Amino acid sequence: MRDNLRMIVFVVVLGIVLSAVIFAVNSFTAPRIAKNDELTTKRTILDAHAISYQESDLETVFSQDITVVKTADKTYYALKNGDIAFEFNGSGLWGPIRGVISLKSDLQSIKRIVVIHQEETAGLGGRLAERKYLSSFDGKKFAPTILILNRRRAAGDTEVDGISGATLTSKAFEKLLNEQVAEYLRGYGG
Amino acid sequence: MSNVGLQLKRLTYTRSYRILRSNLWKDHPVSCGVLGMCLTLGVSNKVANAIAIGIGFTFVLVVTAATISALRNLIPKRARVIIYMIVISSFVIIVDRFLKAFFPGIAEALGPYIGLIITSCILMGRLEEFSMKNNVFSSMLDALASGVAFGYTLLILSVIREFFGFGTILDIKVTPAWWTNWVVIGMAPGAFFVLSIYLWVTRTLAKVDPQKLGHLHG
Repeated sequence: MRDNLRMIVFVVVLGIVLSAVIFAVNSFTAPRIAKNDELTTKRTILDAHAISYQESDLETVFSQDITVVKTADKTYYALKNGDIAFEFNGSGLWGPIRGVISLKSDLQSIKRIVVIHQEETAGLGGRLAERKYLSSFDGKKFAPTILILNRRRAAGDTEVDGISGATLTSKAFEKLLNEQVAEYLRGYGG
Repeated sequence: MSNVGLQLKRLTYTRSYRILRSNLWKDHPVSCGVLGMCLTLGVSNKVANAIAIGIGFTFVLVVTAATISALRNLIPKRARVIIYMIVISSFVIIVDRFLKAFFPGIAEALGPYIGLIITSCILMGRLEEFSMKNNVFSSMLDALASGVAFGYTLLILSVIREFFGFGTILDIKVTPAWWTNWVVIGMAPGAFFVLSIYLWVTRTLAKVDPQKLGHLHG
């Protein structure tokens, strides 16, 4: 009985001490981590708008070129010429896919897609995040939806080739893009 | 002169020397114990990742060894594994936050592998085998030696894999223009090829007899 009590007391005390240490480290690093995340977002938005920048003038370029438009629940990053970009979020085949898409001022044509996070099969669906694949979306149109095809070759403005061997990832990505773009455009008053 | 030689010779009989020698070469955690495989296979594709994990791992190992060793007479025997886990995971979280705050690029590249330090058998092995039975100084020395042993193995593997798989070292191009990357070496299967060759070479050099590793090989 005494042994059990000693064990419990020891574990509880150790737990409290270590939690306090972690709490201290966390409150020290949290602002820096938040800042890093913010910079990552800014970098991605600029990438999606195909604006070149130096690491040192990232924030100046961002604040000069990008107008942040906030609605009730969405954030848009607009250029002066009417191009917009926004973050998309949704599920792929195995896990969440997150990224940024930019549209030209007609709010239909894709300027660029950047994928920040994905958990698809490496070498198959995972190739989704590669520039080489994503650039095949450049210039395609949501009219009103886009098709990602694995059964035949894509033809025309609204079709893109899927990734071979990753039909389900391609399908999930298609659904995700169409839903998110429609939702964001509704919110933008389009 | 012979006096210095004698001093050096005497040094090789000290306990510290034996701790260093066994961890760094004779009872190497990777070559001999085949421990820490998850990290060894997972993060040995780029030199930068290997260095970051090597340093983070050594740090966690040294501080947990010191903590466990200092508390070794207080730790209730039945709860010791849980206590190892609590201490290890706390320090791993600290390393994780630190990397995210100051080296976000490396933190992103390492992803889940930082958290996987928690489950590394090298840590559990050293704590159970050594820190629970020895004083703080010896435990820290042992942990440092184990960490460095693990780190240099990662470094060797990653230099080989990054050179052949990506044609770079620390992301600097070192191969001539005509070089074609052996992509497979940089990917997961390549880790197995390179590691098995590494084990073969180091085990032969260290004269490890698999038959005598009874506790490890049945």
